[in-house]
Amino acid sequence: MRERKKSSAVEVSSVKKKKEKKTKDNNEPREQKEKEESQSIMKQQKNTTSRSKKEKQRKATEDYQSLRESELSGDEVHGTDHDVDNADDHHEEDQTDGSEGHRGVEESDSSEDEVAPRNTIGDVPLEWYKDEKHIGYDISGKKITKKERQDKLASFLANVDDSKSWRKIYDEYNDEEVELTKEEIRLVQRLLKGKAPHTDFDQYADYVDWFKYDDALHPLSNAPEPKRRFIPSKWESKKVVQYVRAIRKGLIKFDEPKEEEPKFYLLWGDDSSAAEKANHLAYIPAPKPKLPGHEESYNPSLEYIPTQEELNSYQLMYEEDRPKFIPRRFTSLRSVPAYENAVKDSFERCMDLYLCPRVRKKRVNIDPETLKPKLPSRKDLKPYPVACYLEYKGHKGAVVSISTEASGQWFASGSTDGTVRIWEVESGRCLRVLEIGEAIQYVAWNPLPELPVLAVSAGQDVLILNTGLGNEEEQRRVKDLLHVETPTAPDDNMASIVSWLQHDKLDGIRLRHFKVAFSPLSIFSCIFVLVLDLGLVEDHLLKNLLLALMFTLDGVFGRMASQGRLPLHVFHPTRSIFFVSTKKNIRVYDLLKQRLIKKLETGLKEVSSIAIHPAGDNLIVGSREGKLCWFDMDLSSKPYRVLKCHPKDITNVAFHRSYPLFASCSDDCTAYVFHGMVYSDLNQNPLIVPLEILRGHTSSNGRGVMDCKFHPRQPWLFTAGADSVIRLYCH
Amino acid sequence: MDMNIETPEDQNEENSRRVQVRFKTKLKPPQKVPSNSIAIPSNLTRFGLSSVVNNLLQAVNPEWKSEPFDFLINGELVRMSLEQFLLAKGISAILTRMCDLLQEKVLEIEYIKAVAPQKEEEPSLHDDWVSAVDGSNPGFILTGCYDNLGRVWKAGGVCTHILEGHCGAVSSVNIIKSDGLKYVTVATASKDQTLRLWKFDAEELVNHPKKIRSFKILRGHKASVHSIAAETSGNMVCSGSWDCTISLWRTNDSDAAGNQVSIKKRKGNNQVEEPQLEGEAISTLVGHTQCVSSVVWPQQETIYSASWDHSVRTWDVEMGKDLSDIFCGKALNCIDIGGEGSALIAAGGSDPILRIWDPRKPGTSAPVFQFSSHNSWISACKWHNKSWFHLISASYDGKVMLWDLRTAWPLSVIDSHKDKVLCADWWRGDSVISGGVDSKLCVSSGVSIQ
Repeated sequence: MRERKKSSAVEVSSVKKKKEKKTKDNNEPREQKEKEESQSIMKQQKNTTSRSKKEKQRKATEDYQSLRESELSGDEVHGTDHDVDNADDHHEEDQTDGSEGHRGVEESDSSEDEVAPRNTIGDVPLEWYKDEKHIGYDISGKKITKKERQDKLASFLANVDDSKSWRKIYDEYNDEEVELTKEEIRLVQRLLKGKAPHTDFDQYADYVDWFKYDDALHPLSNAPEPKRRFIPSKWESKKVVQYVRAIRKGLIKFDEPKEEEPKFYLLWGDDSSAAEKANHLAYIPAPKPKLPGHEESYNPSLEYIPTQEELNSYQLMYEEDRPKFIPRRFTSLRSVPAYENAVKDSFERCMDLYLCPRVRKKRVNIDPETLKPKLPSRKDLKPYPVACYLEYKGHKGAVVSISTEASGQWFASGSTDGTVRIWEVESGRCLRVLEIGEAIQYVAWNPLPELPVLAVSAGQDVLILNTGLGNEEEQRRVKDLLHVETPTAPDDNMASIVSWLQHDKLDGIRLRHFKVAFSPLSIFSCIFVLVLDLGLVEDHLLKNLLLALMFTLDGVFGRMASQGRLPLHVFHPTRSIFFVSTKKNIRVYDLLKQRLIKKLETGLKEVSSIAIHPAGDNLIVGSREGKLCWFDMDLSSKPYRVLKCHPKDITNVAFHRSYPLFASCSDDCTAYVFHGMVYSDLNQNPLIVPLEILRGHTSSNGRGVMDCKFHPRQPWLFTAGADSVIRLYCH
Repeated sequence: MDMNIETPEDQNEENSRRVQVRFKTKLKPPQKVPSNSIAIPSNLTRFGLSSVVNNLLQAVNPEWKSEPFDFLINGELVRMSLEQFLLAKGISAILTRMCDLLQEKVLEIEYIKAVAPQKEEEPSLHDDWVSAVDGSNPGFILTGCYDNLGRVWKAGGVCTHILEGHCGAVSSVNIIKSDGLKYVTVATASKDQTLRLWKFDAEELVNHPKKIRSFKILRGHKASVHSIAAETSGNMVCSGSWDCTISLWRTNDSDAAGNQVSIKKRKGNNQVEEPQLEGEAISTLVGHTQCVSSVVWPQQETIYSASWDHSVRTWDVEMGKDLSDIFCGKALNCIDIGGEGSALIAAGGSDPILRIWDPRKPGTSAPVFQFSSHNSWISACKWHNKSWFHLISASYDGKVMLWDLRTAWPLSVIDSHKDKVLCADWWRGDSVISGGVDSKLCVSSGVSIQ
């Protein structure tokens, strides 16, 4: 009971303090006390919070004191009555008080149990609402308007009449008149007297000893300390002896005392290694500021002080280049003025911290030169075409296609002006002009030198024309070959695809193609050349072969025809293999077995040209986006190298027949020449070295260089331009 | 006799450096100056030196008309100012003395007549491109043309004969030496794969061009014949062709080899049938891998050939084998033998550089001279047949250049053609003749080479 009393005494004093200081402290006993108070008050007023209650109590006490002072004499009896009542109640409620006290301790924050106050403005000075028509807002956000205030006289008169008026208090927070109950008044009176506020709490209750034992006379044993507690343990000493011996024998070893490492750090070193030391992943060492020098002294030597000229020159410099600090001299440190940029600097520092990237960037210290592949020097790869010495002028429209004769003495060119011209390479002379009448798409010279015939595709026809070159015997043979008898009774298969006619004006054959609406005619020219290659000059054989080829490839071409594209194609130089490009891929067909062997994936947007290495194992593919792919057929179906060289469409690519050269030409009016060495050793991959950019053509209607072909025997390159000029680039 | 000659260059320079020189020459007395040493300003150029010499000559001979001279110091032509030249050539001993004004050492300057064409003759117009020209006979000029005809021109642009018969462009012509004969024999090569031999009277006076037919057709090449060259004696010709071979042919009309069958040649358009001899190659030199673009036959036993396979080959006619090759890395278009001891090989090709090799030097792969003032392919080069130093080159850039081995700059540039020059030759030792794509045969005369 003694402890309990103490706690309650503390309670009372704390309550008193609270009332005097009007402060809030969250001692547990006080909470408990408040709990008790609230329980008693809540019987009458359910909707006041502890906050408002405190407020109310404050008000009540103040009012009461003033009342007491005024009515001290008259109402003395009242007070004593209350006191007597309290004394009566005391013993009856003693037990319940204890139990209630315990319950109060267990309960949590009392304010949560209560009903929220009417006003929701919170703990703000009430003066803010003094001039308003409302005192605040209710829980739904509506304004609580102020009540009509009675004038002083009326209220005084009402108070005089009302016997209960001394118990009424005005609650400013909620704008209400609160009438205190008798119990509350009593409670207030007890507090004023310095007693425990509750009548049922006995401050000086008897101590109740909870612990009961038999020998209640002496709470602890009175027996003297036994002797054994003062004698050293025999077993312990034995153990100690054992350890000592073990240490002497060296059985037990102690850890060597660690040598203290001297705690130095590199004052002048940079922080690059500090990042490694810190095991924090994102640790970024701050850069070290420059150490101050003599010029930053308050009184530096004269040589540090800039002259007036230098100062003037600073004004002419850019803001960034200007020195940040200009040394000045002061007689004493005392006369140094405040740093004028202090605010600016700190602001900039803040901006730096705020804006600086918080990403750690791994700086790779690699010389970009070392990343370049080791390529042989261009000088060692000579000869290759370098300069343009000859121009072949005469065409009136863009030159679309060129083809060289096998020996390299002549070449033929086809143009959009509807003519095919045959040129002499060495002199630039146009030997012959063949008027076709339709825009030429492709020109191909027979690779066999003994039959100087030319295949030309124009419109929907393929023309096989006599060039008129060669001696009489050759000319006779050519004429025999190009002679077509009267259109024979059409073969069933043949009629559907192609018809052979004698050309009206020129000395040659016209192959008219019926089936496909678009013109896959360059295919035919190639086929024709292939046929001549095989020495199949007899008509029916030629037709049969053509037929076989047509049916093999019909599916591919049919599909591409529907896409409206011209399929590109190339024959293997030695084997019966045929390469056809679809929009993105290259299909490889075996013509003898008549089936697909391989599919090469270019990864390009649109294939524009293909060319095959004279050895047959490598293929280059040019694309519309200016990329060039090199396929090594032995390696994989993916390109071995992709060269991004041209900014515009590649129009054509070409391999040299004997030199390790290849070229690409593009609509950007340039042609690129590359060294493309293919080794016979299978372990060695092809070597590709860019050599030269050949310029000189001018753009016409957005087209640049339309075709490029190598001279068959010299390292020279012919380029056909949309500007109707053919150029020869020599080494 | 110390003379100070004021020339326009040194009027302003009072204290310009002077150099002590002595002029000497191999020219005949009217052009010979006294052999005294004189002090002349060191900043004189060729023009200044020339006016000095002319002044000296005038001092001796008041009727002397000034003419341009060229100057040689240590066998090199002076092309810059004298001071620069001496510095560049490292003749410093004289220079230091010159600086010290110790005018003891005398620089010897040899002067020769300046070599430059004086006059541009009226061009002879053709119907088509002039592809070949030969001026080895002083009486006339023989040209080949792309209109399949050969032409003979007299001085003054008079066409006397037209050689008719080829059915392809004439690619090369050659006058076969025929000393003491009334009739001149010429040979032409054509792109129709044949060679033809022609005979005509060069002295004959004609008002109208006379059409003549070939007396012999030489067949055997399998592709266009590109060049032709006759042996010095005139008994044989050789030809280089696009079929990579060089063929040797006999020129005499009465063929001793029994190939005397005269074939009646049928012309396509039913013309007069004319008996024509046909000849076959007596031997073929195989070795080139590409078109033989040019052949020369300067001596009885050796033929030099240039080819597009980048090589210059020397052939032994008797053995039919090539003795040596020189590789130059470029396709070659023309070759000529001449110069010192008629041994230097000049060749030009598919680049603007005219190269000259000396085959007598051991390890002759590197050219001894390179002249690179042209801008395009070189189509022809010819040595002067008397001088060891002078040669001409024609190029596709439309220029004919006159070279002296003693300087790296061209002596003169003949710029009379408007387009590619396809052929060029010397004529009569003092004229340069050239034909080109503008269908003109230009004659630049007055080149004085002593």
